[in-house]
Amino acid sequence: MALAVLDRSSPSSALRFSRRLADLWWLVDVRRRRVARDNILRAGIETDPTRIRALSRGSAQHFAMVVVESLKSAAVLEEERWSDHIELKIAPDVMAVLEDPDQGLIMASGHYGNWEIAAQWLSRFKPVAGITRAMNNPRVEALIQRRKPRYRFHPIPKYAADPGRFLAVLKDCEILALLTDQHARSGGMQVDFFGHPAATYTTAAMLHLVTRTPLCFAACRRIGEMRFELMTSPLIQHQRSGNKKHDVQVILGALNEHLETMIRQAPDQYLWGHRRWRD
Amino acid sequence: MSDETIIIRLRNILRDNSAEERDWGHVNGETTMESLGIDSLSILDLLYDIDQEFDIHLEGSEVIDMRTVGEIANLLKQRGA
Repeated sequence: MALAVLDRSSPSSALRFSRRLADLWWLVDVRRRRVARDNILRAGIETDPTRIRALSRGSAQHFAMVVVESLKSAAVLEEERWSDHIELKIAPDVMAVLEDPDQGLIMASGHYGNWEIAAQWLSRFKPVAGITRAMNNPRVEALIQRRKPRYRFHPIPKYAADPGRFLAVLKDCEILALLTDQHARSGGMQVDFFGHPAATYTTAAMLHLVTRTPLCFAACRRIGEMRFELMTSPLIQHQRSGNKKHDVQVILGALNEHLETMIRQAPDQYLWGHRRWRD
Repeated sequence: MSDETIIIRLRNILRDNSAEERDWGHVNGETTMESLGIDSLSILDLLYDIDQEFDIHLEGSEVIDMRTVGEIANLLKQRGA
């Protein structure tokens, strides 16, 4: 019933309703609340217990809002009105690559802001492929799949996400969007995130080094109701040193620094409930 | 570069990118990539190291479907190794 309400409501009403639902979920999901608290403390974002709780709750609300924004994204991405909703801060060299039909692009980001709005808007330039994971709630997932406009966004299911698939995307001069802030269970590298080593997938860095496809960091931060700021870093074009581990470490370190900077600007728009550091 | 030299240098790269415990001295052109534990996940490391070792840039799409060490060695030979 909650999903039906969200689906039929105006964006304002749906966002308000989703925040209330998030509050309830936040109260009930003690484990995730603890994970968020520990992560916020470790990152050094807040130390006061009251502010940590507020930030943790804000993060939960934010992700409920991301679901609503995805459901209502047609309003944001509509051809003539998108500039009412999205402010662009795209680096000139990234824009040149976006506008070049013979060039692919690797865009790295994190679970921050609304990466789905970003991916769908960017597909105006060239197709975007990104790894997606189904929502835990199958009803929410079904609703999202029915309602979410795809434009030229091609989701790659997590079970099918392998380098062969990624290489094909880049060979076709498309955009490969990768979220690099998940705990890398295997094949990862320890890279500092807020000053603490975190197991990080090396895929974005290795693809850049091997294919020589330009790489940048991108983020899409909420700046108002159904309003977003889409930013990119300048292109990262790392020259190989011959030391693979060093090269990967430098690139992933740079991506993490960009993500940290964005998180500090709007810490409630980050997924603090994911166990990023697993000692 | 002789075919034998290419195979030897390629073998060293494959050994560094494989978690397999085996007698690498017996790896030759007929050896399959699968038997060496080289899969799509390790293909990126392989491409990087080949580029470094041979100064030859191979496309992932060229290598990813190659079954044997010999096929990669032949491609390197064609590219001037």
